Amino acid sequence: MGQNDNGKARILIAERDRSVRELQGVFLTNAGFAVEFADDGQVALDRVRQEPPALLITEILIPKIDGLTLCRLVRNDAALEGMPVIVFSILAAGGRANDAGAAAFLRKPLVESTFLAAINGVMMTMPTGTASAATAVGR
Amino acid sequence: MTTPGTTSITPIVTERRHGTHPPTPESADRLKSGNREADYILGGGFPANSINIVMGHPGSGKTIFAEQLIFDNAGDDRPILYFTTLSEPLAKVVRYLQGFQFFDEAKLGNQVIFEDVGAELAKDGPDALVPLLRRAITTLAPKIIVIDSFKAVHDLAASVADRRRMVYEMTALLSAYGTTAFLLGEYTEEDILVYPEFAVADGIVEMSRRRLGNRDERYFRVYKLRGSRYLEGAHAFRITDAGLDIYPRLVSPQIPEGYEPASERISTGVTGLDAMLDGGVWRGTTTLLAGPSGAGKTTIGLQFALEGARQGEPSLYMNFQENPSQLMRTIRNLGADPDEAQAQGLDLVYASPVELQIDSIIVDMFRRIRQGRVRRLVIDALGDLASAATDPQRLHDYLYALVQHFAVSGITSILNFETIGNTIAGNGMQNAMSYLSDNVLLLTVDGEERTRRALRVLKTRGSAHDTRVREVEISAAGLAVLA
Repeated sequence: MGQNDNGKARILIAERDRSVRELQGVFLTNAGFAVEFADDGQVALDRVRQEPPALLITEILIPKIDGLTLCRLVRNDAALEGMPVIVFSILAAGGRANDAGAAAFLRKPLVESTFLAAINGVMMTMPTGTASAATAVGR
Repeated sequence: MTTPGTTSITPIVTERRHGTHPPTPESADRLKSGNREADYILGGGFPANSINIVMGHPGSGKTIFAEQLIFDNAGDDRPILYFTTLSEPLAKVVRYLQGFQFFDEAKLGNQVIFEDVGAELAKDGPDALVPLLRRAITTLAPKIIVIDSFKAVHDLAASVADRRRMVYEMTALLSAYGTTAFLLGEYTEEDILVYPEFAVADGIVEMSRRRLGNRDERYFRVYKLRGSRYLEGAHAFRITDAGLDIYPRLVSPQIPEGYEPASERISTGVTGLDAMLDGGVWRGTTTLLAGPSGAGKTTIGLQFALEGARQGEPSLYMNFQENPSQLMRTIRNLGADPDEAQAQGLDLVYASPVELQIDSIIVDMFRRIRQGRVRRLVIDALGDLASAATDPQRLHDYLYALVQHFAVSGITSILNFETIGNTIAGNGMQNAMSYLSDNVLLLTVDGEERTRRALRVLKTRGSAHDTRVREVEISAAGLAVLA
């Protein structure tokens, strides 16, 4: 679970802001991850259930299913138990992200160093069975 | 609390362990400007991760302000990027930068990176800017980006639609990334309504310059600062080797809760005058002392200050006419030892109103008041202070704020004012000061064969003062009210 064909840890990002997506894509690709984007919460949920990534990163303010609801749905799905969610939002919603079951909360704007540090930190705490992510984290 | 230029991260795993949710105090995140006074005006600095415009005519000080800011913020974390565009070649910017004290060559190239993007912009037009920024962000991760001049980039656009698209794309990129941006430009006040960058800017500051005879006055003004309180109005500044020397505009103090005027009378040090004032002046009050040249205003002012020093009350004498040597001589003529008086707490200050702005005089005065814990103050004379002020309204606002500060701080003051003739009427500033002052005294000079001086108390607050005109005499012991 969570790897692409080249053995890279796959991260799914639910985000609509083009500039944020662009920068996330560059930073994560440079860090050795495979990145996939979803335009809204419903697409992200379908994709997660279809092919679980190593990590889901979601903005709260996304269409159809908001990021916090998406986080709760993932957390309540037993099949996705080992897959962490990071809420990365413009909103100051650390408490609500915590309540929704997020592994970490990051406040926008994006800064490469703290963004990667948070991702690596969350992936380090993943169960051993998801070592695919650790491969990339080691970069 | 996050530091400026960093993404705020709340580690929820840790929160669970400790059961707390640290707030993300966005309002506390500030980027210092490198200038203490500017930060005071800005309510602590620029909001971190914001887009700001620094506007002003050529030579107004924009570039110096930005350079001071970047060198002060440069550190070992993330670099600062300074784009020069089509306004001034990079070599010229760096050449003059080296003359300032804040310049640090060791920071160049690693902590502060200057990049001339003029050639790319000239070749590809304004559309080249966003890719240049994106490249810089993904390769350098700058915590601050300065674009000097952004207006020059903007003016390359062929149409309004092109300008708006470029500004939109740049704003989207800069907002997505954790960086604080400064767009410098030779904008005018009218441009604020026309150029789209002003609508998206979080902060707008202006540097302006006004020619006054043989000297220039420069002003720093904040037009906009989203999510933050700031000190409104025009704040004078000078450009020095250390950068901008800004004098925040004096505003009326917040009246402290429970503030009560002092209920103690103090002696003026002038024989007979205390009796005319029903036992001296109330501490914390302001007295306007008006009269023509030679009437004895300076003498009364010095006696008042010397009396303060004798009583162990630090006293400040601000004068704009006599240099320190002349003033020492005048004090000796009053039978006092100037050195002893200064040792007791008398601070004699001479300032030339010809070369200074009222703002710098006031800032210096308050600095001395704070440092010397001043209890008595004399300004000799208001007319000279007025000549240092170019705007009558600004002068009035200053004087009002001064009187309020003195009252709240318990500083007892005498403000001398030279009249033309023996009347107080007919002068706008004098009328205003009469209204603002607690006490108003009028000195007159008459006589042909023998000079006859007289003193009259025109107004007091809270005193049953002597309403008669009383003759006064100046002798080696000073000025005295005759019995």
